[in-house]
Amino acid sequence: MRAYFTVFKMRLRMELQYRGAMIGGIACQVFFGLILVALYRALYEGKPQAIPIEHVATYVWLQQSFFRMLVASDPDLLDKIRSGDISYDMCRPVDMYGFYYVRIMAQKLMGSLMRGIPMLVFAALLPKGWGIVLPNSVPGLLAGVMALVIGLLCMCALENITMAFTMRTLDPRGIQAMLNLLMVTFSGNLLPLTLFPDSWQKVIKVLPYSQLLDAPIRLYTGEYPVSEAFKIITIQLLWTLVLGAFGMYLWGRNKKRMIVQGG
Amino acid sequence: MDTVRLYIRSMGMLLRSHLQYPASFVMQTLAQLVMEAGEMMVVILVVDRFEKLKGWTGGNLFFFFGLMSVSFYITEFFGRGITGDFPSMVRTGKLDTILLRPRGVLTQVLCSGMDPRRITCIAVGTVALIMGSRMSGVEWSALKVLALIESIGMSCLLILGLFMIESIFCIHSVKSVELVNAITYGGRSACQYPIDIYPTPLKVMFTVLAPFALTLHVPAAWILGKPLYGWPIWTVFVTPLSGAAVFFIMTALFHRGMRYYRSTGS
Repeated sequence: MRAYFTVFKMRLRMELQYRGAMIGGIACQVFFGLILVALYRALYEGKPQAIPIEHVATYVWLQQSFFRMLVASDPDLLDKIRSGDISYDMCRPVDMYGFYYVRIMAQKLMGSLMRGIPMLVFAALLPKGWGIVLPNSVPGLLAGVMALVIGLLCMCALENITMAFTMRTLDPRGIQAMLNLLMVTFSGNLLPLTLFPDSWQKVIKVLPYSQLLDAPIRLYTGEYPVSEAFKIITIQLLWTLVLGAFGMYLWGRNKKRMIVQGG
Repeated sequence: MDTVRLYIRSMGMLLRSHLQYPASFVMQTLAQLVMEAGEMMVVILVVDRFEKLKGWTGGNLFFFFGLMSVSFYITEFFGRGITGDFPSMVRTGKLDTILLRPRGVLTQVLCSGMDPRRITCIAVGTVALIMGSRMSGVEWSALKVLALIESIGMSCLLILGLFMIESIFCIHSVKSVELVNAITYGGRSACQYPIDIYPTPLKVMFTVLAPFALTLHVPAAWILGKPLYGWPIWTVFVTPLSGAAVFFIMTALFHRGMRYYRSTGS
């Protein structure tokens, strides 16, 4: 356990090093957020929806702030898979799955906190209807934060599954592009899930992708009442376990039939 | 003319080299298709829920989306040297070899990269264009076709010019500056919807700084029969020229920047 914790800590420090890239990233992300909010505001002028525009804006900002949680992946691991250096990792006295799980978790956590917090501050300063609104209630906020943490765990499990497929095919671009599209679409990054057709909602809500950011955001804005928090967090935990188990199974199989590329 | 022939021959060569790995090529091209189809699905879902956007119908929105997508991906298809590869050329010192050859730097950079995987993105954009024009009931005339072609051509030059900003920064700073993405990819995201829905600061930005509104929205709105801001017809053919203007300004700056180029030496 201590080994994993150390890996986690090392990776956190590593992520803190890239502050220059971070500022550029934040500015870019803020700009995209402003464009999206402007677009939804224009759409709302024509035809207001059941969900108030303030909630849509909040949704956009929370999505943009924690965008790093969705997209950050471990570039070292990809290189290792391609170059064959991954064979060294098999010599380590820790489980490979756990090793990369905590690494990716540190990266996603630090990456999104470093970018997310300044962005949330910025979004809070924007006028009403443009920026982020306060959480619906204190319990809602707490439930949202808790759901976000579990969402992070779930996300890392998903990422490890993608990596397991990459180990098979060696070329990350095909399968990864497909999985990434599923993710940005059904996690609500391209379009808030609350604006998807109502008939789709029932299915979308139970997909693993909506557990990552959508569930925490809906708890925050109060679309999911606090009374449902327990049910939602159970679904999240269930998915995390299922995806984690599936990932471990895939990694286990990969370890047995791994062909190391090159020397 | 010589330059054009050189460019066409390079493109032929690059295309053949991309097709050397057919399985990988097909996979990646399909991945591109899925990505762009996803983008289009968002527009469809938006239209499904909101029906219209400040006087623009669903069909109009598809038309705008298609026009942006066709222009953007044609640029990435043929201009990969600038839109993608340039920062790594500077970083690895590959640009040095280019300086030794008896042709212009920009020509050679453009000749050195293409991205044929984008063909499926262009296809999706074309489908959106056709769908949009059908749904909006556009009656095509020779003049409208001309306006469409001019709009796409000028938008390509504009997008290429905007990507060159990143190249120019890169010559000085070696590291690529991601912030510029706000204007290129951000411009694509914002301007796949008509400009007049945005608040004034964004309008100014995409009319003056990165004039997507002039190259895309003015002609497109006229083709759809709803002239933007009620501007007269001659503007439809004059304003897109701003795309060429941006391109030429950036070319001049690029060559100026090259005078300060220092090799990374590796």
